[in-house]
Amino acid sequence: MPNVIEIKNLTFKYKDKIALHNIDIAFPARQVTALIGPSGCGKSTLLRCLNRMNDLIEQTAISGEITYEGKDIYDRYYDVIELRTKIGMVFQKPNPFPMSIFDNVAYGPRCQGVKEKKKLQEIVKKALLDAALYEEVKDRLKESAMSLSGGQQQRLCIARAIAMNPQVILMDEPTSALDPIATAKIEELISDLKTSYTIIIVTHNMQQAARISDFTAFFLMGNLVEYGETDQIFSKPLQPKTEEYITGRFG
Amino acid sequence: MTQRTNFDKELDRLKLTLVEMAELVSANIKEGLSSFLKMDTEIAEANIKKDKLVNEYEQTIEKDCLRIIQREQPVAKDLRFITSVLKMVTDLERIGDHAADIAKMTIFMEKTHSSFFVNDIEEMTTVCQKMIKQAIEAFISTDKEIASAVIETDDIVDDLFESTKAKVAEAIRNKKVDADFALYLMMVAKYLERIGDHAVNIAEWVIYSITGERL
Repeated sequence: MPNVIEIKNLTFKYKDKIALHNIDIAFPARQVTALIGPSGCGKSTLLRCLNRMNDLIEQTAISGEITYEGKDIYDRYYDVIELRTKIGMVFQKPNPFPMSIFDNVAYGPRCQGVKEKKKLQEIVKKALLDAALYEEVKDRLKESAMSLSGGQQQRLCIARAIAMNPQVILMDEPTSALDPIATAKIEELISDLKTSYTIIIVTHNMQQAARISDFTAFFLMGNLVEYGETDQIFSKPLQPKTEEYITGRFG
Repeated sequence: MTQRTNFDKELDRLKLTLVEMAELVSANIKEGLSSFLKMDTEIAEANIKKDKLVNEYEQTIEKDCLRIIQREQPVAKDLRFITSVLKMVTDLERIGDHAADIAKMTIFMEKTHSSFFVNDIEEMTTVCQKMIKQAIEAFISTDKEIASAVIETDDIVDDLFESTKAKVAEAIRNKKVDADFALYLMMVAKYLERIGDHAVNIAEWVIYSITGERL
């Protein structure tokens, strides 16, 4: 399977602190890749490098190369807005905009210039269907997104990302604030979405990584310790550090 | 290092229970054969009763494994360890069944005394007991070399079985053995040969537990 994103020799610093050391990794298309590791290991930093969210943080420095569809996304002429359209992101805490359900999903397309009402309705419906939320909200699209439950809000955020017709969806601990039922729905959704999208997910939940991902990368102190098929990582990791971490005997 | 104290204690306890079960099973094989050699139905009946204890061990270990899986959600080497224990316990239970089967032969043969015997069968018993002991040693010390040695030793059991078969056939041809006795003797030899195979299975699960590779 082809790789959508390839990272070569990536080093990332916050001021003087090196957060990522010489990372080499590639993310295959239409697969779910889980990034795991203890807090501060660099996995979220890496995720944010992929759609240049770290550009917004001051005193950071990046070296090495990240290519998306063969193009260097840190090239000075690369269109960051276009990048974030193609590589969407869902965060730990659901963050719907304080507007209606419909307007939340239509926000991105409107920013891109889609004005025709019928077209917007089509986009919103498809995104909500893809995010497995449509049936629950179809009769109250004009209500505030804030009226939704936490799990529904998170699926709305996924719908909002999908509405931009991305190729990759980055998820930073998308279920850590949700109850088990809402978590199960998101996990099922991730499995459904991978037929159309490449998903890269940061998670602290080992069982979740084992359940939903095809590939797993284990990070420790800014280093990529091991990367491989999830079945292999969770049954027979090659590195002792990976074994210690996933079996809970770490430190 | 972060410890999973309770989890590690549970795994140690599981290991200990499996060792106890293996020791019981090994003793039962020796006793089963002893009842056969002496044609002692009392020993045989006592031996058959002990097989129930083996079955109880199996159920206890299975329950413990399932409880640990449910509570601790093991992965990697922990999951391989528990999976191996679940499989090994089945082989140990089968070995226990065969030990009881040998004792049952004693009861069937009570009225069929014979001076004919093949010493290879005693040798098979000794080798099988050694194989079980070594397989469990390999498990305790996570030593794949010892486990591999168990697998190789099975050739000795197979050779002894073939040798027994040839000697019994020769005795039948020369009318030196009662036909019923010859049949029972061969069944005992076959049970021992199967015990050797189960010991090999245990050794293979030990290797899986250590390396993640299935032979």
